[in-house]
Amino acid sequence: MTAMTTLQWARLSDRLFDAAVLTYLVAMVGYAIYLGFRTNAAWAAARAVTVVGLGMHLTSIVARTVAAGRVPWGNMWEFSSLLAFLVVLGYLVIVEGVYKVRTLGAFPLIFSAVTMGVARIFGFYVAPGPLVPALNSYWLKIHVLAAIVGSSLYALGGGVLTILYLVKAAAERREAAALGSRPVPPVMGASQDLADPPHFVAGADDPVGETTARRRRGVLPPSAVLDRMAYRTIAVGFPIWTFAVIAGAVWAQEAWGRYWGWDPKETWAFITWVIYAGYLHARATSGWKGTRAAVVALVGFVSLLVTYYAVNLFIVSLHGYAK
Amino acid sequence: MSTSAPVRARMTPRQSLALVWRTLRSMRTALILLFLLAMASVVGSLIPQIPNSPERAASYQVEHPFWGGFFRRAGFFDVFGSWWFALIATLLFVSLVACLLPRTRAHLRTIRQPPVQARELDAFPQYAQRRVSAQPDMAIALSQKLLRRKLFRVQRAPGALAAEKGIAREFGSLLFHWAFLLILVGAVYGKGTGFTGRTAIVEGEAWTDARANYDGQIRTGRFFSGDFSGTQVGLLDFADSYRRTGQPMDFVSRIELADAQGNPLGHTDVRVNHPAEVNGVRIFQYGYGWAPVITIRDGDRVLFDGPVIFTQDPAPEGVGQLALPWRGVVKLPSLDPQVGLEVILWPDFYAYLRFQATGQPVPMTEAHDPFITIQAYRGSLTSPSLSGLETATMTTWEDAFVGQGQTKELGEDGNGGMLTVSFPELRQYSVFQVSRDRGVWIVLVAAILILLGLMPALYTSRRKVWVRAKPDGDATLLRVGGLALQRKEQFEEEFAKLVDELARVCGEPVAVEPERAGAR
Repeated sequence: MTAMTTLQWARLSDRLFDAAVLTYLVAMVGYAIYLGFRTNAAWAAARAVTVVGLGMHLTSIVARTVAAGRVPWGNMWEFSSLLAFLVVLGYLVIVEGVYKVRTLGAFPLIFSAVTMGVARIFGFYVAPGPLVPALNSYWLKIHVLAAIVGSSLYALGGGVLTILYLVKAAAERREAAALGSRPVPPVMGASQDLADPPHFVAGADDPVGETTARRRRGVLPPSAVLDRMAYRTIAVGFPIWTFAVIAGAVWAQEAWGRYWGWDPKETWAFITWVIYAGYLHARATSGWKGTRAAVVALVGFVSLLVTYYAVNLFIVSLHGYAK
Repeated sequence: MSTSAPVRARMTPRQSLALVWRTLRSMRTALILLFLLAMASVVGSLIPQIPNSPERAASYQVEHPFWGGFFRRAGFFDVFGSWWFALIATLLFVSLVACLLPRTRAHLRTIRQPPVQARELDAFPQYAQRRVSAQPDMAIALSQKLLRRKLFRVQRAPGALAAEKGIAREFGSLLFHWAFLLILVGAVYGKGTGFTGRTAIVEGEAWTDARANYDGQIRTGRFFSGDFSGTQVGLLDFADSYRRTGQPMDFVSRIELADAQGNPLGHTDVRVNHPAEVNGVRIFQYGYGWAPVITIRDGDRVLFDGPVIFTQDPAPEGVGQLALPWRGVVKLPSLDPQVGLEVILWPDFYAYLRFQATGQPVPMTEAHDPFITIQAYRGSLTSPSLSGLETATMTTWEDAFVGQGQTKELGEDGNGGMLTVSFPELRQYSVFQVSRDRGVWIVLVAAILILLGLMPALYTSRRKVWVRAKPDGDATLLRVGGLALQRKEQFEEEFAKLVDELARVCGEPVAVEPERAGAR
């Protein structure tokens, strides 16, 4: 086999990108079937398809690296691709791996497919190429990688899992009201053991009991489990995001002679940081636990999207070259 | 307290102060302040800020007179320098300190104080008992050894142990929060005693770090004492390279440094992302441009001779900055009437023709065969700035077209002499940002402490274990109680394992009595 040219690598990367999106969509259907009917075969197939999609996606990213001759996080197209990849990977590792929850695969896959679709449709695509001198920095590479990893954890924890938590917590309150009992206290954190079940165990995906309305209950995992997963994911993401902001400041000091200048990108990274710091504090504050803290996490997710999309596309910023 | 009548009298000043203090200390206040800080930042990112983009802030006020006026009065064009942003930040820091002081005092007490023995072990959330073969004293000693090996702090009493682990959580949390005060100190000290300025140096020329040499392009801190370093910077040459696509590849300034006394300090390269540091001052590659050397003679008398710094107008929407023409101004105030020259630099004849034909400028990344076009004006020079030419009060005079190495006649000076223009040489200049911030290291250390503090604060938990041993027939009854302040569900597993290990080191159970209470 003769060596591939840069152009061939670039084409391979693009084709695999599209193929990965389609694969994720197929896997999403499988996960949705498992969510609705708990068909084990659907889960097994969906998971296998997801892993295949991840493999293609990873190959796409590697091919891009070869084509560009540098790290694959130099522009918005590449950020989007890497972010989507990490969210799916994060789901497999954290939700299925650590917490043994298998019902939620469709949701992170929706997020990733949409992220990649947006990158495709709104023309973030640029041919792989070298970076301008300002971006050619050791610290920048670290800064951007940390920002993407942090973003993926926020997207998974503060976005996907938090939305699911809010949906489930609302459903639990409704059901409790229908049963005429007191609602299960939507405790976030660890102050009440009742709402703080042990690590998820085998069989926990099974629908839980029957209500008086003979309606199947527990399509989603209990809200306390969703809450714990969301919290832990954000708690891993927060130091990484903090590090990303610090690495960005170190780079700014080298490139622009000031570590902080309230450039819109810096400002929004700071806003996102402040909101998630608020979330971590809210969980430890009475009266803010539960739904309220979750809403804070969701606001943080919106802020993340602004930091990522709006600042790059609509706000004049020193980070404008990230387009 | 024996006060029986809780009459809601007016609070004494002392009581009001205590109330304010308590309010500031509460997490709710801190949360609200955090969100206010976030909201203020949102405003600062959406409305153009004067320190970041003064032109956009100015044009916004022209385009939106009503909102512009309101925003200006509210300080929305300089959010991060406004009094209310400073107020939010100050309150947040006061709230932080108010919260940290008692917590730190309590934490220091916890560190000094050995773990406290418990009364009722089986009242704890975790409790287990095992029969072991070691004698009670021996069992306690062995348990102590095991717990110490697991990094518990252990306090021993006759027949009993109190152990505790995970103080790092609170320590990390305190470190994380105190470090923000350190950032504040570093930022105030560094910005307050430092300065940031900009200067352009033409190839072959030298520049000295002193206030006058910044031409007003300098911002100094509030406590800046005027102690410029006097460092001399000479630009040996500047090189820019581009890819075939026109994308810039590298910008390098080779500079020669000397101290205030003129003693050479050596050569160094300044690149984007690679500043030079000398005498506590850092020199950053900020920009660059063309500086044609222009000589103007009136007969044999030299009126002007030297490189002229050419600049580009800000690019309109959708036009690359590089593509705009380079312009410069030469003033001849000694003539009567005075003469001002508007000069445009072209990389070669093709670029000039193309611009005349299509209006499309060609980016000047290289100069193969450069020439300048001159439009001269006569009248009185009114613009005080070096590079500004106010042509409204002047009349159009001659024009000229001078290639590199050529000399051309411009026109008569009014006294019968002939003005000539030469363009002997084309040089480049480099724009440097020169700044001094002595607080950077404090801020960096604080940032590292923030990260170091965050890890234990988020990922460890404080837990306590008590062990008792008493004779039970010919064996020993080992009773273990446990309590976790955080991460209770994980502690459950850890506790079960710990009990198994304790039983193992104290000897296999004599009689099987698996009376494990488990979680309560």
